[in-house]
Amino acid sequence: MLLVCGAIPDEDFPLTIGPAAFDGESLLLDGKALSCTQGTAALVGAACKVTAYLGAAAPRALLVGDRGTGKGSRSLYEYLIRNLPSISPRVLVLHYMLPVMGLMKRVVESSERCPRKPVLIADAAAMYAAKAAGLALRFDIFTPDHSEMAFLADPEASHPAYVSRHLFESNGAMIPKLALAAHRHGGAAKMLLVKGATDYIVEDGRVVGSVSAPEIPALEAIGGTGDTVTGILGAFIYAGYEFREAANLAARINRLSGLHAAATPFTKIRQIIAAIPAALEDCFRSNFITQQGPDVGDLS
Amino acid sequence: MVFGLKKKEQSEGGIILFNNVEEAITAERLLMSAGYEVRLVAPPPALRKGCDLAVEINLVEQTGIERLLAEKKAGYLEIVPVKGRGTLLGVVKVTDFGEAVMVKAGNMKLTFEKESGTVVNVSGGGCPDIPYLHAYLIGKKLTEVRRPKEYGYTLCSLMLDTAFIESLDIWKNNGGRS
Repeated sequence: MLLVCGAIPDEDFPLTIGPAAFDGESLLLDGKALSCTQGTAALVGAACKVTAYLGAAAPRALLVGDRGTGKGSRSLYEYLIRNLPSISPRVLVLHYMLPVMGLMKRVVESSERCPRKPVLIADAAAMYAAKAAGLALRFDIFTPDHSEMAFLADPEASHPAYVSRHLFESNGAMIPKLALAAHRHGGAAKMLLVKGATDYIVEDGRVVGSVSAPEIPALEAIGGTGDTVTGILGAFIYAGYEFREAANLAARINRLSGLHAAATPFTKIRQIIAAIPAALEDCFRSNFITQQGPDVGDLS
Repeated sequence: MVFGLKKKEQSEGGIILFNNVEEAITAERLLMSAGYEVRLVAPPPALRKGCDLAVEINLVEQTGIERLLAEKKAGYLEIVPVKGRGTLLGVVKVTDFGEAVMVKAGNMKLTFEKESGTVVNVSGGGCPDIPYLHAYLIGKKLTEVRRPKEYGYTLCSLMLDTAFIESLDIWKNNGGRS
C-alpha cells in the first residue's frame, strides 16, 4: 500500500482513509469530491495518475480537515500512532500537517513497529517536524525546495521562517554544500530530492544526479508543483523502482507535465496533474524509463 | 531543552516571555482555553527577560497565538525560538515573469498579475493553513483581501504575509507594470 497522509483546507472534513482517485478536476475519496489544489490533494492526485498509468493499485489517502488550528493534524498523528503497525503500508508519505515534534517522533516509532518498515517519505511541514525533532535520518527521503534545503542545513532552525539569512540568500549552486551540511548535522534524510531550477538527487550528503531539462521557470510559481513531484516519486517507489531512478523520473516527469500543460504563472495545479500521463508516455516512448518495476499488482 | 521540562518531554521550539508572572499565567489560561497545547516553564537563562516564568508553545503556531493575545489584550514581551536566531527571516526575492511578478519570502511565494493586481498563484510552504490561504487568495486583487496573518495560524502564513505586503507595495508603486 502507498499511504499518503495530510490535511486539506476544510475544517469540517473528518479523518478519512480510503483509496483515492483523480477525475481530472477533483480528488475523489470515500464518495466525496475534494478540490484538487495546492497541498496534499495535489500530491495524491499526481500519485493517482502514476499508479493508474503503471497499473498499480491506487494510493490510499489519510486526509483530515485542518485550516491551521492543528486540531485535525493532531487527530491524524494520533491515528497513525495507534494504527500504523496494523496498516503496515509499503510506502508512507507524510505531508501537510501542523508540525508537532513530539507527535512526529511517536509516528516514526509506530512505523518502526510495522512487520516491515515502510519507506518513509516526508515533504512540507511533516519534513519540518521530522528535521526539527532530530528524526531526519530515520526517514528515507525528503523532498525540499531550495528554501527548505537552507532550513535543513541550518542546525538551529525549527522552521524555514527562522532560517539564517545567509543560508536563505545562497543561490542554487550552493545546494550541494547545503545538502552536505544538512547530512553532517543530521538534518537530512538518507536521500533528498531538492526541487528547483535544477533538481538535485542527493544520497548521504552527496549529489548523485540532477535534472534541469526541460527548463520551465513558471513551475516555481504554480502552487502544488512541489507536491506533485513528491506524489510521482512515492508512486514510482511503490511500484518497485529504485529510489534514485524514481527521483530522476519524478523530477523529469513533473517538468514534462509542465511542458505539456504549457505552464505559465497563471496555470493551476490540476492542469499539471492532468498532463502527467502525457509526460509518462513521453518517457516510456523515448525509452527513458528503462526498467519496469516488479509486478505492482502484488504489492501490499 | 527548556529549563523546567522533564528530560523526556519534547520542546516544540518556542516560548513567550513576559513582564511579570501575572501576564504569564493569564496567557497560559487564554491559550489553553483556545485549544493550544502550552505549559508554564522557566525560560533558559540566555533568553530570560522580564519575569522568571514563560509559556512554552509550538513555535509554528506563533501567528495564531500573537493574534489571540492581541485580541484579548494580553500582555507579553515577545515570542522567541528556544534555539537559533530570535528574528524572523525578513528577506524577499522578486522574479519578473513578464505578465506576472513572483515575490518569495522564506518558504512562501505569491504571484500576481501585473495588469490587474490579481493573485494568480501561491506556492511553497507546508503548514495546514497554506492550502486554505491559497484557495482564499487566488483570483482576488491584492487590494481587496485581508492580510494572510489576519487569518492564518502558522509561521508559513507569516512568511506569506511578508510576500503579500511586498507584492502590495510593488503593485501600489506601479513597479510591476512599467
